[in-house]
Amino acid sequence: MNAPAGNPAAVLDCAHLVRRFGDRTAVDDVSLRIAPGETYGLLGPNGAGKTTTIRMACGLLRPDTGTVRVAGLAVTTAAGPAKKLIGFVPQDVALYPDLSVRENLRFFGRLYRLSRRALERRVDEVLDLIELRDRAGDRVDALSGGMRRRLNIGAGLVHSPTLLVLDEPTVGVDPQSRHAILESVTRFGEEGMAVLYTTHYMEEAERLCDRIGIIDRGRLVAEGSPRELVALVAERDRVRLSAVGDLASYADACRGMARVEGTARTGDHGEVVELVVKDARSLLPDLLDLAHDQQVDIRSVEIDEPDLEAVFLHLTGTALRE
Amino acid sequence: MRVVLAIAAKDLRQRLRDRSAWVIVFLAPVLISALMALAFNNNSEFRANIGVVDLDHGPAATGLTQVLNSPELEDTVHVRSYGDESAARRAVDAGRVHAAIVVPEGFTQALHGGTTAPVKVLDSVDFGLQAQLARAVTESYVAQVNADRLSVATAVAAGAPQRDVPELAAKAALLRLPEEVRAEGLPDDALKVISYFGPSMGMFFVLFTVGFGARGYFIEQQQGTLDRIAAAPVGRGALLLGKSVSTFVYSLAGLATVTLVSWLAFGASWADPLGVAALSVAMAVCVVCLTALVIALVRTEQQAQGLASILVFALVLLGGNFVFASGTTPLIRRLALFTPNGWALRGFTDLGTGVRGWAAVGAPLLGIAAFSAAVALVTALLLRLRRTP
Repeated sequence: MNAPAGNPAAVLDCAHLVRRFGDRTAVDDVSLRIAPGETYGLLGPNGAGKTTTIRMACGLLRPDTGTVRVAGLAVTTAAGPAKKLIGFVPQDVALYPDLSVRENLRFFGRLYRLSRRALERRVDEVLDLIELRDRAGDRVDALSGGMRRRLNIGAGLVHSPTLLVLDEPTVGVDPQSRHAILESVTRFGEEGMAVLYTTHYMEEAERLCDRIGIIDRGRLVAEGSPRELVALVAERDRVRLSAVGDLASYADACRGMARVEGTARTGDHGEVVELVVKDARSLLPDLLDLAHDQQVDIRSVEIDEPDLEAVFLHLTGTALRE
Repeated sequence: MRVVLAIAAKDLRQRLRDRSAWVIVFLAPVLISALMALAFNNNSEFRANIGVVDLDHGPAATGLTQVLNSPELEDTVHVRSYGDESAARRAVDAGRVHAAIVVPEGFTQALHGGTTAPVKVLDSVDFGLQAQLARAVTESYVAQVNADRLSVATAVAAGAPQRDVPELAAKAALLRLPEEVRAEGLPDDALKVISYFGPSMGMFFVLFTVGFGARGYFIEQQQGTLDRIAAAPVGRGALLLGKSVSTFVYSLAGLATVTLVSWLAFGASWADPLGVAALSVAMAVCVVCLTALVIALVRTEQQAQGLASILVFALVLLGGNFVFASGTTPLIRRLALFTPNGWALRGFTDLGTGVRGWAAVGAPLLGIAAFSAAVALVTALLLRLRRTP
């Protein structure tokens, strides 16, 4: 086993991670650290590099350059001991549908070499935690989607990890199950577990995370607590214009205005233009005049206080869910 | 080791819950072996029910009937008498007898008088071999009678007195032609059909395990559980070993089931149980290697299924799982030696004919081991090439 190195206080210490797939750089010089009991959110749109980053953090993918240490243990050279400390919850439900709930938990627990007695005790604890004790004997393929999601998380907890890595655990989950999952993650943090949580839902990151890293096109563009990040755009407002017309040209024209710092088209059919601007109230007449000149029919205008969505727009020039 | 066993136990549990796997590896080979045993009556004995129509009623016709009922043929030929040709024809057409011999009126007289009165054999397309036997016995008998006549005539021509003709004829009748057809029972250690086709069908269906194993790997990859295992402190070697153990146990269980049922229920016999066990173990190891090869060669579940099917059918066709090796061409017999199942069947055939120990299974075990080693080597090279850094 390697002697612990790096920052011993950090449960996870990723330094200058780079990973390329052919010509494409999926992760470009990403560094992040997570302290014990801290919940760290990796926030970014689909394809930003979140999953690649956490696959490197869990030892599933070898970085081209850079290092990953878990509690000081290098994941590449001390894979066994380091991996023992990690609980991995993949984005898609990764369970055996033809085994029962209990059999799944037992199997994943055995991979971490828990003794028989410790395993049985821990399986019962996890069943209580994910509220599936009464369905313990049921096959996974008989469970609802929400129950499977909870079990998916439970399988990552059965060996009592020091670091829990969750890759977008609420994608495609009904509101009730989503609430339950978020409650559980909050509790893990409170119990002292370090959590790395990836999401593209801004409100989840805001609610759960002590610190957030914003990742875009493989690069970590900002990092801090939600408050610190929002402070980056404290002087700015987010303006949402629902309109009809050639919105692409209109958004381009807006981008050229002096106090506009980011534009994006959102909505199901691109019918919304979002802007991050300085002093929205004084700029609004100019935006409406421009719309008139371009024969764009503005249907509604919303001006919001800055939030993480605005931060993302400000930092990347694009909306989080574009 | 605990992790290896955990992975193997999990895989086996999943397979035992898969009904199709039960049917293919356990039920189907037993059923097909049973059908083959029934079809071949589980032995290789040859029987011929021959009808005889005696329109001659002379000593020559009686002699032919006596030959058919002789002790030499009693285990092979069963004789039934019919009053006329049409009755015999109906019996042959109905399958009550396999063939019928019609001895014409004047047969005895023709033999003594030098005229012709040919014996007719009524046959059926369903029992060609029995008809051939009837013809052969008849021809043999007529040839014997002709030889007797010739020898007596030769003696008379050489000056033997006419009063000695009956004595000469009696002496001639005791002589036999230097070559004649004799039906003999098969030896006690003849290969029983079930002793060959039991393990043969067992191997055929166990080779399908290659497809199950390879597909299972890609299904796990698709459902993300392989990643989950890789995220745990489980080495690549432990993962592969665990999966190999489950494939080995499953294959061995399939072969053991078929050989045991063939032995206990259908009377299969092999001279050396240890030899049977050794061949079964070797084949199970080979199935593991083939599974790994398919996994190394393909990328998806569908490709795995396709390649495994091609591989299985190529092996069983070349290896002789559907026909006795003796019934194939020399080329096929030679090609069978490039297949593990061909070698195993050679071993089972020897064991089924009473050969024991190393003499029966030595070469087959080496053949299977060589095949498995070659497959394992290719697999290792492919996996090394495919490994992502």
